[in-house]
Amino acid sequence: MTLRSKWRALAFLGVAILAPLFSAAQKPPARANMCNACHGPNGNALLKDMPSIAGQPKVFIENQLVLIREGMRDIPQMKGVLNNVPDSELTELATYYAGLKIAKPPVQKQTDLYNKGELLSKEMRCGICHLPTYEGREQMPRLAGQREDYLLYTMRAMKANQAVGRDPIMIASLYGISDEDLKAISHYQSRLSN
Amino acid sequence: MFKHLSLRCIDLGKVKLQKNKLEICVKYISMRRFKQMSLAVSLSMGVLAAQAQAPAAAPAPAWKQGMPEAMANSTLAPLAGKLTVTKAADVPINRIKLPPGFKVEVWADSVPGSRAIAQGDGGKYYVGTRPLGRVYEITDNGTTRTSRVVIDKLDQPTVAYKDGTLFVISVDKVLRFDGIDKNPTVAPVDLTAKFNLPPEKHHNWKYIAFGPDGKLYVPFGAPCNICEPPSAEYAQIRRYNADGSGMEVLARGVRNTVGFDWHPVTKELWFSNHGRDWLGDDTPNDTMHRLKVGGHYGFPSCHQGNLPDPDVKKAKPCDGIEQPVALMGPHSATMGVTFYTGNMFPAEYRNVLFNARKGSWNRTKKIGHDVVMVRADADGRNAKVEPFMTGFSNEADQTWWGRPAYLHQMNDGALLVSDEQNGVIYRVSYSK
Repeated sequence: MTLRSKWRALAFLGVAILAPLFSAAQKPPARANMCNACHGPNGNALLKDMPSIAGQPKVFIENQLVLIREGMRDIPQMKGVLNNVPDSELTELATYYAGLKIAKPPVQKQTDLYNKGELLSKEMRCGICHLPTYEGREQMPRLAGQREDYLLYTMRAMKANQAVGRDPIMIASLYGISDEDLKAISHYQSRLSN
Repeated sequence: MFKHLSLRCIDLGKVKLQKNKLEICVKYISMRRFKQMSLAVSLSMGVLAAQAQAPAAAPAPAWKQGMPEAMANSTLAPLAGKLTVTKAADVPINRIKLPPGFKVEVWADSVPGSRAIAQGDGGKYYVGTRPLGRVYEITDNGTTRTSRVVIDKLDQPTVAYKDGTLFVISVDKVLRFDGIDKNPTVAPVDLTAKFNLPPEKHHNWKYIAFGPDGKLYVPFGAPCNICEPPSAEYAQIRRYNADGSGMEVLARGVRNTVGFDWHPVTKELWFSNHGRDWLGDDTPNDTMHRLKVGGHYGFPSCHQGNLPDPDVKKAKPCDGIEQPVALMGPHSATMGVTFYTGNMFPAEYRNVLFNARKGSWNRTKKIGHDVVMVRADADGRNAKVEPFMTGFSNEADQTWWGRPAYLHQMNDGALLVSDEQNGVIYRVSYSK
């Protein structure tokens, strides 16, 4: 083996070893631009009532993408957008956004509302599924650091049974809760950083 | 919504108009519905409306009902399903263990979420799903399988097949595909109105099958983990004529059966039943039962025939309750049931009940993720539960990769096993 080919082999090896470490963070899938148009740069939403998808569990994003494509979860803005997109591309998108970091939450908070939300989140046992850190896992979404207005928007929709295609267990978890309580929970969870 | 609420309360009222029953009815509904409910009550029952308007506690969320404080910090939660395609090559089939002489292969792949299997004509099989909302048709030409989606966007559909006709029942629809064997694109006839399906979704995804009597057997699960059901139409097994007429309630107090078959000798229906959650690692057991027409199987106040419920109490809750044939393991998620009547497996497997256990979530140590055999006398005595198909989970590190859900005996005597997690169907065969 010549010196040059040794270097080449070494360089190739280096790329082969390091590529998996960087590829997820560095190379967005082709469709990511389309997602970012609404869900914000790097999946951190800037629009009102729009969820951030950065740092969500991979299975959660993948499940939602499949259910939206199948028409089981009804999101008018996304209707048809995923038609005929193969599972493999949905998995790629899910892996990509799961690997991105959710933005730092807003610093300012209303202490009373925050404390009330913290207590309610414990009492409602959100942490059993979403984990005590509220970072989510597998099919259960991250709540920590999600946009406050989106948390409120989506829980209101679930409470009103208007969240077509969403998990019936989550919908049932909001039986009887007041709008004031939903506001407190949204405020608290949106301020969490991890 | 208004209509069914008022009907529900009138139904309750009809049974026996007692204050506690009314409270149960009110307790069950959400605060969101409370105004409508009060209105319905006041319209239908006048004077009792005042009692109904006493502060109604918000009902416990469906899956947390009966969850003790001691488990408030638990992180046990339902296992995540997989909705995307898995190819046969990506299934670690070498990990599956069977008794000597048996062989397993991936018979069909790329059918995400595959659950119950109904055999059609001409090498066709129909398969239901839950969250994906699809019904697949798999065509077997003897060497390879292809699949297509017959219908989608349904709420957790399941299938049965009879005389060239496919029946699909979801949480809120009954559809009949007449002569689908001859006409693959036939538009379904909507029979929903004839079947009088109750409105609640929880545990009302189903398993359905035609019995030896030609009737369609349909279960209706309890719409909660543990509760006094909001009306009498839940926690039942019923049968109907194929057109939806002639409905009979055969059994009550059945929390959630999603698998049954008829005993090859006695022609009795044997069914699996899921026990409640959040009662500790070792109680209650999921159970296997024989159907006694008119029998009560204990839900909500008695589990596994002998265990009083700590939340929905009543005096002597297990008196007169039908006893299980076998205990199938706490939280094991006992699913599909098939009596083996084929000639391919050795003689000792004849009339053995095969049962798929999808695997536990409400337990700190995993159980299930396998297919077991129940060997019992024809009258249900002397039942023994033994492993048959294992290797989908690893006890040492508590990991798992597959969830056997349903079984189907093929014409040649091989056994099909659907794996809901991987969206594949295995074929288990035997040769000396």
